Amino acid sequence: MTNEFLLSVESVDTFIGQFHILENVSVNVAKGSITVLLGRNGAGKTTTLKTVIGLTPPRSGRVIFDGEEIQGKRAFNIANLGIGYVPENRAIFRALTVLENLKLAERKKGDLDRHADMIFELFPDLERLSKLKGNQLSGGQQQMLAVARALVPDNKLLLIDEPSEGLAPILIQQMMEVIRKLKEKTTILLVEQNFIMASQLAERYVIIDDGRSVHRGLMSDLVLNEELIHQYLGASIQAPTRTSEAE
Amino acid sequence: MSHNNKKTLYTVIGVVAVAAIIFGLYSYAGQESFIRTVLSGLTLGSLFFLVAAGLTLIFGLMDVLNFAHGSMFMLGAYIGWQFYTNPTFIFGVLPLLLAFAAGILLVPLFKPKLVRLELSDVWQKRLPKLMYLAALIVGGIALWKFDVIGLADTAMVAAVTTSANPLAELSAQEPLLRFMWRPLLLMVSGALVAVGVSRPGDRTEITAPEPLKKRLILLIVLVILTIVFTLVRENASEAVLLMNGNLRFLLAIITATGFGFLLGALIEITMIRPLYVRSFFIVLMTLGLSYVLRELVQVLWDPLAYQMVRPPLFAQPGRANTIAEWLMNGSSTISIVGVTFPTYRLFVIALGFVMFIFVTVLMTRSRLGMVIRAGVQDPQMVEALGINVKSVFTLVFALGVALAALGGIGAAPFLPVQPGMGDQYQMQGFITVVIGGMGSYVGAFVGAIILGMARAFGDYFALKWQLSPTIAEASTVIIMIVVLLLRPQGLFGKKD
Repeated sequence: MTNEFLLSVESVDTFIGQFHILENVSVNVAKGSITVLLGRNGAGKTTTLKTVIGLTPPRSGRVIFDGEEIQGKRAFNIANLGIGYVPENRAIFRALTVLENLKLAERKKGDLDRHADMIFELFPDLERLSKLKGNQLSGGQQQMLAVARALVPDNKLLLIDEPSEGLAPILIQQMMEVIRKLKEKTTILLVEQNFIMASQLAERYVIIDDGRSVHRGLMSDLVLNEELIHQYLGASIQAPTRTSEAE
Repeated sequence: MSHNNKKTLYTVIGVVAVAAIIFGLYSYAGQESFIRTVLSGLTLGSLFFLVAAGLTLIFGLMDVLNFAHGSMFMLGAYIGWQFYTNPTFIFGVLPLLLAFAAGILLVPLFKPKLVRLELSDVWQKRLPKLMYLAALIVGGIALWKFDVIGLADTAMVAAVTTSANPLAELSAQEPLLRFMWRPLLLMVSGALVAVGVSRPGDRTEITAPEPLKKRLILLIVLVILTIVFTLVRENASEAVLLMNGNLRFLLAIITATGFGFLLGALIEITMIRPLYVRSFFIVLMTLGLSYVLRELVQVLWDPLAYQMVRPPLFAQPGRANTIAEWLMNGSSTISIVGVTFPTYRLFVIALGFVMFIFVTVLMTRSRLGMVIRAGVQDPQMVEALGINVKSVFTLVFALGVALAALGGIGAAPFLPVQPGMGDQYQMQGFITVVIGGMGSYVGAFVGAIILGMARAFGDYFALKWQLSPTIAEASTVIIMIVVLLLRPQGLFGKKD
């Protein structure tokens, strides 16, 4: 049944140039839940998110969001249906102030005003720093801004790519809290290498390996299945927290 | 030393060096020559800025080097000059262009039905080609024996025999009954192109729900405009020529700038958009385009140089002592701290500064400016936020070309209007962008003023020391080399 899912990625194939990145990948995300994409570096998790938002459109297969086929549409059209994208590596706009970064994400006039209280409650730092340029923020603050930006318009679905990457342990805790709170009002498709964080947040998982979706199920089952974890995730659970990298 | 301290130190050294140069020039040249040369430099700098602003914005956002930018400057001058001297040509051609555009705008109306047609693969490929061929034939019939050269010549007659009354040349327009079918056929021709572009039968083509209503309104407006301009061809020219000269000049500026904007949008959509993935081809394409446009102008107006008459506000012999006096009498020169300077050049300086303020406000205060600054860094992410980046690219390209066209009409009353008039400014525009830093409009402004000053003082010293006048031209390249050696990213450029 498609109806119970807010997002269904149905056996998509995605190419970047002549490279076959995704092969027959299927991911379903139920409304009001968090689904996490797991897998090694370069397995195709980020490309899966980009395929949904339309930055790397699939060559075949279907992407159904909220009952509508969206594959092949331009990225801005897809985003405007109510999908927020938080890319990896904190791709905020460095030349814009924090406030401008948030303003830019408005789809209707007044989006930011309506959600400002909620956003600044989740990220009190950003209110204080609102006049600073993006390139004056620390790595953690940039990551917070990247997430905050996706909260400005009314999004039904958030695609969040590696929110914990390069964050200090204390900030990872904070980020987890934020995502947990977000779950109450929205649906999230998460990419997360930090297995501890992923296992505490997500209800369901999909393992992507070498461009294929090889395994899926309930997170509560996966944590008990050490063999599976070892086979597909390898070393990535060995290092649950990483320290902040120097810029 | 920390990064910030270093920056402050360099800024201080820079300011001191600039102050020393200014003081040195002032004491060497004496007050009168100094002020006159500075004003000349500002005039040139204004024009350089108008060219460079577009170049730098377009390069910064899209990584496109537009080698047709000088041609846009030249076309702006021609269109403005035509409108001011004798708009018969413009009003004669306008209905045809509007009609063709209206035909093309039928695409979104056709598209959803056409892509669902049952067509074999062979016909899918064949049909668009047949449509283009048909469009060409219909377009050819529409323009059969249309005396476009004769229309263009009307302005030439008026320009060459300055004493002749341009109103006497208005009869060049065809009678309405013979003209009428031309726009009609061109609309058909445009519609045929539209069918071809819609890719009939191509089911893989995704038809995103476009805001159809907006397109429909635009189409209706275009059709109405076509009809109106078909009917008023002769009367409109007459009305424009009977107008107050200053008002006519203002309208000429608006027409040339608007023309530049539309031409820019057209070029971006039809020629540059398909080539973004192969940016080197864009260089070749724009270079080729510049030759085509120059030849086109030579066919229409012959390879001659024209002098546009200065509007009355700048034309009366005599020297005004204050700005108020100038505005009242329309004096051709004004006294600035004892130096006599042409009022029209003062106007060009003002134009440059006003446009710099306009660009600054646009970039820092408007949403479009925010989108541009963000798009320079990461257009994909801007798109993922829900912003149509393609249309922003079109808008920025159109704005850049509009600024160049504005520079062209601004220069027309004191530079000879000729097919090669833009080359010089395109070259200086590129040098300006390199000096100021790719993608920085503030850099373009500062660079333009530096170059303007270098040219003006170069000319001054060449005259004084009896050197070859090319020393002034060389000086700008020398400045570029020095800047590249000391600060390869340009004065206001950012390091990658």
